[in-house]
Amino acid sequence: MLTLKSVQSGYGRAPVLKGISLHVRPGEVVTLIGANGAGKTTALSTISGLLPARKGAIEFAGQDLTRMRPERIVTLGLALVPEGRRVFRTLSVTANLELGAFYRQDKKQVRRDLEELRARFPILKERARQAAGTLSGGEQQILAIGRALMARPKLLMLDEPSMGLAPQMVTRVYDILRDLKKSGTTILLVEQNARAALKVADRGYVLETGRIILDGAAAELQEDPEVQRAYLGKGYREVWE
Amino acid sequence: MFFQQLLNGLTTGAAYALIALGYTMIYGILGLINFAQGEIYMAGAFVAVLLLATGQVNFFLAFLAGMAAAALVGVALERVAFRPLRGSHPLVPLISAIGASIFLQSLALLLFGPNDRPFPVQFDFSTITVAGLPLSTLQGAILAAALGFMALLVVFVRYTRYGKAIVACALDRDTARLMGINVDRMVTLTFFIGSALSGAAGIMMAIYYNATYPRMGLLPGLKAFSAAILGGVGNIPGAILGGLLLGVAESLGAAYVSSGFKDATAFAILILVLLIRPQGILRGRGD
Amino acid sequence: MTAYLLHLAVLSGIYVILAVSLNLIIGYAGQVSLGHAAFFGIGGYTSALVSLHFGFPFPLAVLSALVVAGTCGLGLGLPTLRLKEDYLAIVTLGFGVIVDLVFLNLEITGGPDGLVNIPLPRLGGVVFRPQGLYIVLVLLTLLLILGLTYSLVRSYHGRALRAIRDHETTAQVMGINTPAYKIMIFTLAAAVAGVAGSLYAHYITFINPESFGLHTSILLLCMVVLGGMGSIAGSVVGAVILAVLPEMLRQFKDYQDLLYGALLVGLLILRPQGLMGRGKLSLKFITKKE
Repeated sequence: MLTLKSVQSGYGRAPVLKGISLHVRPGEVVTLIGANGAGKTTALSTISGLLPARKGAIEFAGQDLTRMRPERIVTLGLALVPEGRRVFRTLSVTANLELGAFYRQDKKQVRRDLEELRARFPILKERARQAAGTLSGGEQQILAIGRALMARPKLLMLDEPSMGLAPQMVTRVYDILRDLKKSGTTILLVEQNARAALKVADRGYVLETGRIILDGAAAELQEDPEVQRAYLGKGYREVWE
Repeated sequence: MFFQQLLNGLTTGAAYALIALGYTMIYGILGLINFAQGEIYMAGAFVAVLLLATGQVNFFLAFLAGMAAAALVGVALERVAFRPLRGSHPLVPLISAIGASIFLQSLALLLFGPNDRPFPVQFDFSTITVAGLPLSTLQGAILAAALGFMALLVVFVRYTRYGKAIVACALDRDTARLMGINVDRMVTLTFFIGSALSGAAGIMMAIYYNATYPRMGLLPGLKAFSAAILGGVGNIPGAILGGLLLGVAESLGAAYVSSGFKDATAFAILILVLLIRPQGILRGRGD
Repeated sequence: MTAYLLHLAVLSGIYVILAVSLNLIIGYAGQVSLGHAAFFGIGGYTSALVSLHFGFPFPLAVLSALVVAGTCGLGLGLPTLRLKEDYLAIVTLGFGVIVDLVFLNLEITGGPDGLVNIPLPRLGGVVFRPQGLYIVLVLLTLLLILGLTYSLVRSYHGRALRAIRDHETTAQVMGINTPAYKIMIFTLAAAVAGVAGSLYAHYITFINPESFGLHTSILLLCMVVLGGMGSIAGSVVGAVILAVLPEMLRQFKDYQDLLYGALLVGLLILRPQGLMGRGKLSLKFITKKE
């Protein structure tokens, strides 16, 4: 469904991504894990078109995304829940959700989707008229996911959905991801919280300073001693426990 | 006397408010000041006046045509003087806008000459008494029309798809793009609407002062900018409030303090606001 | 003919001083002033008034112009220089309008008629007449100011200023006191414009508010942009061209402002570094910010 072939990109002169290749198959949940500054957010920005790819190729549903603008990419069914949620703070919760469906022409279906979403996440109905900026971090994360779902994505990308959330909110967000997985949504999940991400994912890639150093089934990665040491903090934990 | 001054102030203030809306919307979405806003106001007035002078066009059609012409000038301006300079140091589009403003002003001077043109249509305006106070129907009509335009704008921004999309672009351009919003198109739309409102203000003031001339936009443009800052740049209700307040302050200042310094009132207020409360009366997004 | 050339030379010299001082604000403090002509006017009026009313000799009159214009620059700069570029541009523009209105409305400045019979400068027994030695006076002042400007921008302080222009936050992190630098440069530029005003007033011998309005401020801005923002040599060239060109193209007088407007927009799009700007002194640095 989504394929990256030796993609390079970055902001200044030096590339952040030094040629990464990965793929996501329909129905899969794939996670991209790595430390701070490994290039995870850069990867998602490049796929969604906000950053141009300098080299390599990005293909989604048979279309070449490499030179495509983000506002066009989302219409192909690729939605991103950005890092830090980025809800439109002064707009109402409902307005945020409606903007998620901005490109869609099927107005009636959009209304139905909105009702469905509100049934699924009652908070979005309770707070419907409130400004999005007044929501708690966890509620904003749910709103950001809801907003992305309003685009009816074939592939949903999430950038660090657990960042800055209280532990019970992290659980809540991951429950949502599990539900989405059950309903057959294809997901590319970027996380620093490798433990949580690998639990929900089918497969994973490990990104380190702009390169993919390891990939495999999520279960295998969880057991990999290197991953455990560097990303799951197992070694330290055993000492302390 | 006081009531009359208040009404005079509200009338010019309504025009400042309409121009200030253009400043504030453009600042909100692009983060830059369109220095040529006053010339767009002038362009709207000229097109309406020239059309009416032919005697072939009715008033409402000429009014709409003036607004449309102002809107087109605004859109063209953005294409020529702003878009090629995106991503530059903020000084660059600022100076470019100043250049565009001089260009448009001197173009009008060449095309239409330096003299005042009277408004070609004479209306039967009178003074009526409302609740014991005299009210000129001309001022009443101008105020009503201006408030009507403002209400339309507020409804557009709050309740329509494109209105919300413009706000989204102003708040977070990248995320707006992720929603499938074409930011360039929203910028064009913003210039279109903001300029149409300035054009409407220009026509109203052409009627009010019975004078249309190439430099007519200079001072109202600058004062409207002060109004936008006064209300908090990027804040739509703020621009309306700022415009009305400024108009009243100027009118009362001229009546009770000094008429020679009438045009200085706006700038004195501007400087004070920037020093004391740079975010404006209502908090703006600008700073 | 010689008299006419001399006249052009004196005017060019005065404009060069003004353009160079404005370029200090634009090219080195990264701010646009749209009220620079106000300082020019303040200098001119001050110098004329102290000569007419107190009989100050020329050197003292120039000094008064320098001090008063500089003080006004400091007074305007202190509270406003922390504002963003675009706000400052409007504030300076507003300042220009207010100063213009003050000249127009005060009794002491002669209202719209201005001041007349401003004495020609004398030093010892020498009188600097417009057709004679005045050009020497202008050139000497100009050289002095250019020398000072060059030594300023080449010094440690100049490097600090460029750092502020290009990356204010970085400059602050590096420990450069950016507000102090900006205020210093703004005050200095205002004082220099005051000196130019003095030179102008005693040359023309009659002044009125017309010479110091928005139109002049914008002309100065055009000179700086044409020559290249941040390039001192560029300002010299830009000022001379725009001071002389209108005289040579008298028949196109009506198109002058149209040309200035088109020049500003066109230059910024096609050649933002101006005629003379290049390398680090040029606006190339300013135009693309990463």
